[in-house]
This record gives sequence, C-alpha cells and structure tokens, in this order.
Amino acid sequence: MTPTTVTIQDGTPPPDVRGALDFSVLVEPTRVHGSLYTRPDIFNLEMERLFQTGWVFLGHESELPDPGDFITRRIGGQPIIVARGRDGAISAMYNRCSHRGNLVCRADSGNERYLHCPYHGWTFGSDGSLMGVPQKTGYGERSKELTADLGLAQIGELDSYGGFLFGQLTSSDTSLTDHLGGATESIDRLLELSPNGQVDLNLGWVKHRIRANWKTIVENQVDGYHARYVHQSVYSAIAPARVDYGAGELQLSVRDLGGGHSDIDYRDEYRRLDREFGWFGQIERGKVPAYAAALEQTHGADKAHDVLLIGPPHTVIFPSLFIAELNLMMFEPVGPEETIVHTTPICLSGAPEMNERIRRRAEGAMGPSGFLIADDADMGERTQLGLAAGEPEWIELSRGIDTDEIVDGQLINHDESAETSQRAFWRHYSTMMLGASR
Amino acid sequence: MTVPTLDEATNLDKTAIAEFLVLEARYADEHDYPAWESLWDDTALYWVPRDPSKAIDQQMSYIADNRARIHSRIAQLSTGARYAQEPQSKLRRQLSNFEYNGVSEGLIEVAANFSVFEYRDELTIWAGRYEYGLVLRDGNLRIQRKVVNLINAAGPIPTLAFLI
Repeated sequence: MTPTTVTIQDGTPPPDVRGALDFSVLVEPTRVHGSLYTRPDIFNLEMERLFQTGWVFLGHESELPDPGDFITRRIGGQPIIVARGRDGAISAMYNRCSHRGNLVCRADSGNERYLHCPYHGWTFGSDGSLMGVPQKTGYGERSKELTADLGLAQIGELDSYGGFLFGQLTSSDTSLTDHLGGATESIDRLLELSPNGQVDLNLGWVKHRIRANWKTIVENQVDGYHARYVHQSVYSAIAPARVDYGAGELQLSVRDLGGGHSDIDYRDEYRRLDREFGWFGQIERGKVPAYAAALEQTHGADKAHDVLLIGPPHTVIFPSLFIAELNLMMFEPVGPEETIVHTTPICLSGAPEMNERIRRRAEGAMGPSGFLIADDADMGERTQLGLAAGEPEWIELSRGIDTDEIVDGQLINHDESAETSQRAFWRHYSTMMLGASR
Repeated sequence: MTVPTLDEATNLDKTAIAEFLVLEARYADEHDYPAWESLWDDTALYWVPRDPSKAIDQQMSYIADNRARIHSRIAQLSTGARYAQEPQSKLRRQLSNFEYNGVSEGLIEVAANFSVFEYRDELTIWAGRYEYGLVLRDGNLRIQRKVVNLINAAGPIPTLAFLI
C-alpha cells in the first residue's frame, strides 16, 4: 500500500495539543480536549490540584452520631479517617500509623474507644493523639517527646456547612463558604425539607465501580440533554418523566452557580404546575400527614406549601459531590478510567413517614441495579471506550452558548438541554489546574 | 393453598424443589423475562442487600423489589433500551450445596451457594448464597422470597443490571 500524503491547503496546521499539559490549551470555553479523560499524567495532576488542595466532601455529621464513631474515606487516593471524639468534636486525619505507616482503620465505619494499629499495638484517640505505645522503654529518654509528636497527621482544614463535612488536605486561603459560594443555597434548600432542619445519612453508602473517568460522571449529573434518550426505558415502561419534555417551553433553568458548581433548577416549573410532591412521585399530603403537619409547624403554611412544591436541589458541588435531590452521591476517582460512585439516601430528620419512601425510591432508581443509574453508568463506560479513539480530538460543549443569559448576576439557560453546567465545571477546573501550577 | 408439611418438603419434594430452582436460574441466565417473572408469587421480595447483617429497612439495598417493582424491572429490561443490558450479558450460573430448611411461616425454606459467570466485554464472576422462600400454588412451586447475599456485598460492585 502506498502511504497517502495530506497537504493542508490553507493556513498553518493546528497546534498538536495531544501531549500538552497547558490547561489553557486543553480547556476552551465551548470544547475540551478528549485526552483530559484518559491521560494518567493529567489524572495525577487532578489529584494534586483538585483533591489534595481544594475543598472535598468527606461525610456528614449524622454519620458520626456518638463519641468514638468513625468513617473512612479516600480523598485524592489518600486514606482518611473522620472521627468524633469524647468531647463531641470531629477530627479528620490521615489513616496511616505514625510509626511505620500501617493502615489504622480498615472498616468503612465503626465505633472504637481508641483507634488501634495492629502492627505494633500503638493506640490513638479519636482526635488522633497518640495514647499508647507498647514497650515504651525501648525509646528511652525520647518516649515523652515521641508521644507528643507522633499523633496521627491531621488534614489541613476541616469545616462543615449544614452538617456536611468538607476537608482540605492542604490548607489554603479559601474558606469553605467561599468555596461553596452559590451552592450554599442548595444545602439550605435541602435542609428546609426537614421539619427540624437536619438530614440523616444513616443507611450506608452503596459503592458502584464504573470504568469511566470521574469527570464524565460528574458532567452527566447536571446534563438535562440525555435524560429522554438514556432513560426512555424508564419513562416508557415504569413512570413518566417528572416534567413533560415534549411539552415545549418548560420553566427550567440550568444554572452556573460559580466555583464549578451548577444545578438544574426545576422550581419555577414546579410552582407553575402548583402540585406538591411533583418531585416525589406526586404523592398526596394524606400519605405523609405527620410530615406535612410538622413542616407547617416549622415554616408556617405558606412556606411549607412552597417547600413541598419546589422540593430538593439537583446540584453538583465541585469537584465530586452531587446532591441528587434526596440522594447524595460522591465520586471517588480511582484512575483515569475508573471511578467509584458512592450513593446514600438523604433521610429527613424527624420525618419517618418520608424516610421509608426516600429509601425505597433510592433503591429503585440509584446504584448498580437502579432503573436510572445503571444506564447512566453504562453510558459513562461507553464514553470511555469511545474516547480511546483519538479523532475527533475535542469534546463539544457549545450547546446553548448563544442562549446563556445573566439573570441577577447568575449565568443561566432556560433550555434544560443546554451545556451551561458543563461549561461551568470546566471553567473552574481550568482555573484550579492552571492556578496551582503558577 | 397447599403448603407441604416439613416431611413433604424435606423428604418428598427435594428433587422437585431443586429442579424448580435450576429452572429459575436458567430463565435468568437466558433472559427469558416472562418465564422468569411467572415463577414469582403475587406477593414477593427480590432482595440483594448491601449489608446482609442488617434489616432491610436499616440500609440502602442494591435491589429490594416487591412484586410491583419486579414487574417494573422486567418491563424495563423488555424495552430493549435498558442500556446496561443492551447488549445483554452472556450468563451461566451454578447452584450447589442445597440446604432444605423445612417450612417456616408457610414458606419452604431453601438455601444454596451460587456462582454466576457474566460476560459483557469481559468476564465478571459473582458469587454468594441464595436464600429462597417458596410456596405451593395449585400444586406449582412459586417464589415468594429470593435473597441474594453476595460475598462482595460491601462493594464496590460493578453494574448489576441482569437478573441475579
């Protein structure tokens, strides 16, 4: 076979960005380079610049109700313990014995008076302080100093908003509320659904291994374009879509909340339909009378009615948390082509009538067997398979760019299929990936 | 309704029960959805817990289908647009170590170890223990409860969209 020579007739050849590590080249306003989803070097930089330096969701205070309770997580690949001490204070520390590096806690969660390293028997308090070293005399004069110095290493910062615990492995000048920015409104709105303003994450996390890049999965959560295609089997065989996508003009907004956060805002449509629980299988108040009464007690009749009209948020919090209405999803990147998606129902404190339904709905829709999520996972894996192809080089994210508008200082788009939310993610991604490299 | 006595269940019907469960397994392996669904009783529980040590209402399970939800699952699979099963997994499963645990609260209690070999782009092996609660309806066995205790229930697990 004779090799074919292609001559580019006009202009200079495009720059080859395949091997570039300049994020101002790899991320453009309306398209991003496909290699961002596949390259191991980029994945490693993301772990450093997004997960090991930025604010990342760790867990919720309700997962640690009692002193001695602990949960374990992996943040940017690093094992972390979050624990509640005897004084009620919560600490977050690296899950690594300060002696020779053994993993201290192996369980996902538990309750221990002391955290115990089985290798040489060192024990630590729930705040990480070193409590006991067997055969201490072997350290001679230095044993007292050693006890003071060799607690478990604390992460840089730990803070919470509405019970949601976030950590930064490395401290920075950005406070948690600065990081959350416009997304605090989503957490506030979620908490308003609870008669006592609190949520409970006490049903455990389902862990779903997906062979796809974490960013593909994050992007999908606020993608209003795919639903009627990927989930057509649900709408045709089980339940109609929450809103009638065929009806033409819907009063929805896809919103860029700043800081990489974004949501799909159904509130105006739900208010227009004026139907309580439109977001919850359209049940009647009579199915959950004690909950409705408690909510009126808390908010008054008018506000309670509005809360029940608009329901919970549908918000991605950068980089890896999704408030999926009454489910919480956190995305744990494992490698450039592997992610573990953790999902748990968000129960409403003081609303047992609701919580049984919340759990049932989660089991139906979410997780590896869910009517919705199993198909989303399959799309993510197919995307990863497709991205192995090097051409075309770019991922196209321009949908709705001409109809984006600024309302009250916020970038929004009234077309639910606009890629405004993906552009929001990537703009902040680029800032973070560039900023840390300076 | 004719529920067999302990003697009937343990002495007379072991072969019939095993054959019935092997048939159920084959219908699942071969994606024969209507036939598989027809084996269920009018009230039913198809349960794949995430934590077999906890009660069903104290955890988020992978699957906790009542009879209506079993029907929904079958209906979705039958659309041909359940993408997590499009294409369908190639499946073969083995049941072994049957234990016939008599009759309790009207249900014939049977348990068996299982392994499922799933091929979809690559081979995935699932393993665990099935626990069945069966009833007799007009002389035919029907499933009222099937609990699937995966050895890797704690996860993470890959997508599980076929009938396990």
